[in-house]
Amino acid sequence: MRHLVFSFIAAMLVTGPVWADERLVSDDTGREVLVPRQPDRVVVMHEPLLGLPLMDLGIEITGSYGRADDGSFVIAVDFIDTVLGEGRPKPRGFGPFGQPDLEKLRALEPDLIVATELDAGKLDQLASVAPVYLQNVSSAKVHGIEIQDDLAALVGLTEVFNSRKATYLERVSSLRETLPANSAGLTYLPVFLTDQLNVVGNASGMVQALEDLGFIRLNVDETSKLAAGGGSMMLMPLSAEAFGRLNPDLLVLLNSYTEDDRGETGTRAKLDRIVPGWQQFMKPNLENRILFVDPAKVITPTLASANHMLDAFESWTLKSR
Amino acid sequence: MIRRGTATDGLGILRFKNGFQIKISNLFAGLGLAMAAVLLAVYSLQIGLTKTGISDFLAIFVGAELSDAKVYALIDVRLPRILVGFMVGWAVALSGAVLQSLARNPLADPGLFGFSQGSMIMIMLLLIVVPLAPKSLVALAAVAGGLCVAGLLLWLVGGGRSSGLAIVLMGIAVETVLSSFGTLLILYLPPETSLALSEWLAGSLFQANWSLIAAFLPLHGHLVSGILIAGRLLPAYDLGNEMAMALGEPVARSQPLLLLFAVVLSAAAVTAVGPLMFLGILAPHIAAFLSPATGRARLVLSGLTGGILVVAADTLTRGVAVGLPMPLGLSLTIIGVPLFIIALRLQALRKFQSH
Repeated sequence: MRHLVFSFIAAMLVTGPVWADERLVSDDTGREVLVPRQPDRVVVMHEPLLGLPLMDLGIEITGSYGRADDGSFVIAVDFIDTVLGEGRPKPRGFGPFGQPDLEKLRALEPDLIVATELDAGKLDQLASVAPVYLQNVSSAKVHGIEIQDDLAALVGLTEVFNSRKATYLERVSSLRETLPANSAGLTYLPVFLTDQLNVVGNASGMVQALEDLGFIRLNVDETSKLAAGGGSMMLMPLSAEAFGRLNPDLLVLLNSYTEDDRGETGTRAKLDRIVPGWQQFMKPNLENRILFVDPAKVITPTLASANHMLDAFESWTLKSR
Repeated sequence: MIRRGTATDGLGILRFKNGFQIKISNLFAGLGLAMAAVLLAVYSLQIGLTKTGISDFLAIFVGAELSDAKVYALIDVRLPRILVGFMVGWAVALSGAVLQSLARNPLADPGLFGFSQGSMIMIMLLLIVVPLAPKSLVALAAVAGGLCVAGLLLWLVGGGRSSGLAIVLMGIAVETVLSSFGTLLILYLPPETSLALSEWLAGSLFQANWSLIAAFLPLHGHLVSGILIAGRLLPAYDLGNEMAMALGEPVARSQPLLLLFAVVLSAAAVTAVGPLMFLGILAPHIAAFLSPATGRARLVLSGLTGGILVVAADTLTRGVAVGLPMPLGLSLTIIGVPLFIIALRLQALRKFQSH
């Protein structure tokens, strides 16, 4: 018995950090980082890809790179409002894009900075303020809502994530049962319209929802060649000529964030300017196989975006019947 | 020990016993620029979110206790930015001044010859393949890129005996090709990678810290010897290659060495803060307006001017343009170009009045 007590005390001493507020984790680039067990002042270096997944899990983000001092966002769309709903407190900024302000960052008193693997060049400077965790966001490395899964594990909210994902998957199953035809194996292609056509990357709630519904991404030659180094949000530009030849079972069109009308009318008008006459010859249009979705709702790698995508898909199928 | 005399152009000159001589006007210009650099650094030290400045900085040396926020702002953020900015500006300006003498062309700078682009593209390719590449590897890539362009240039124009004009013209051609390739990379890379590279291409002193200064210092030490050697050679090159050869200058050997000196300077600057276009032209011209000089004096005055311009540009970015996305390259243009225009205009007026 005495031996057991000594063993227990020795184990407690050896595993001392278990009692501490910090733990050692390996980030996606293989660095070992000492992070708080339950961080409560998190700063993110990319709001849509890193901030939204955390906020969707219930964590309030303290700071976000690209936000202004007053909390306004750098682009026309505020993803917190569009994905999670309005009225939430906004994180504060610490300098405009290209010029992170270390003094402002330090003043936010973060206990964890979450950055993308592409922020590796800023690592030394950011680490002078707080521990930095580098998370993969490129299409070749993460898929669907894996970013949110990874970040949930980082902040100790895996159970919350799993429970919400289970609810989401139940919804997917019930939606699949209501579909008139089996969607398994059908192809989809998401295209984002700026002043050109862009194939959307793999890391988004939209992609997660479509693939959970059974769709598979259309293998466009050009996309498969470039996908290895592809971005998370936009995989690659697509020429108008190549686009006109494509015939996915489901074409998903997303209008630019800068457009006020991101619905069907605005998206059709935008595509008319890029590929004149597409409505007359593209099969997905002639056969009513186009889904128009608002990228501001579905493009983040979150369960919330995946649910928005299910909403959009459900209302489209109802309308199509 | 020191004798005061008159140069051939009638200006006062100080002659030292060891043969070293300096025009009094250049000495005063140098002292004035050094003073301006110190004043600018003092002003720059107090720009930022944390309310602190030179008095707190001096207090550190007498053992005063400062808050962590003040120490961080002064020692970890502001002072490294000032030092790196000055060193980088000095290096680019020096590189421009050397290249202008080599090419006998007042428009020559590392950007015009494609050295900056060579370094830039090599760094971009490295960061695409190895996003977590260590700083030393990035520096090596920058030097390798610049050296490849210099080697290519020398080969294309037919070796070290080629004329300055041929180097400039071929440099423009190489620079155009490399810039197009750089644009292509930015356009067709995934947006997140493009954005990360664009931030660096726009120029920023965000990376300035003590380890970067430690990496830069040995190079800066070599600059002193570089100035002593290059400064002695450049007056001969200012007269043209043939005249330099006639004066006994081994052009075939020294021209590649001078090019190498310019490339290393430019590559070091590109590694630290990204490409600073136009600075290599701006600084030597503004320095020449303040006090016309040749040789070592010209290099020192150009270097001081370059350093001041970069620190001033960073101060503008941090102080005046708070919250605005103003990259270092842009603020450098905002400060440097009006000064450049005024200097050229006054120079033209001066010449007009003297005729």
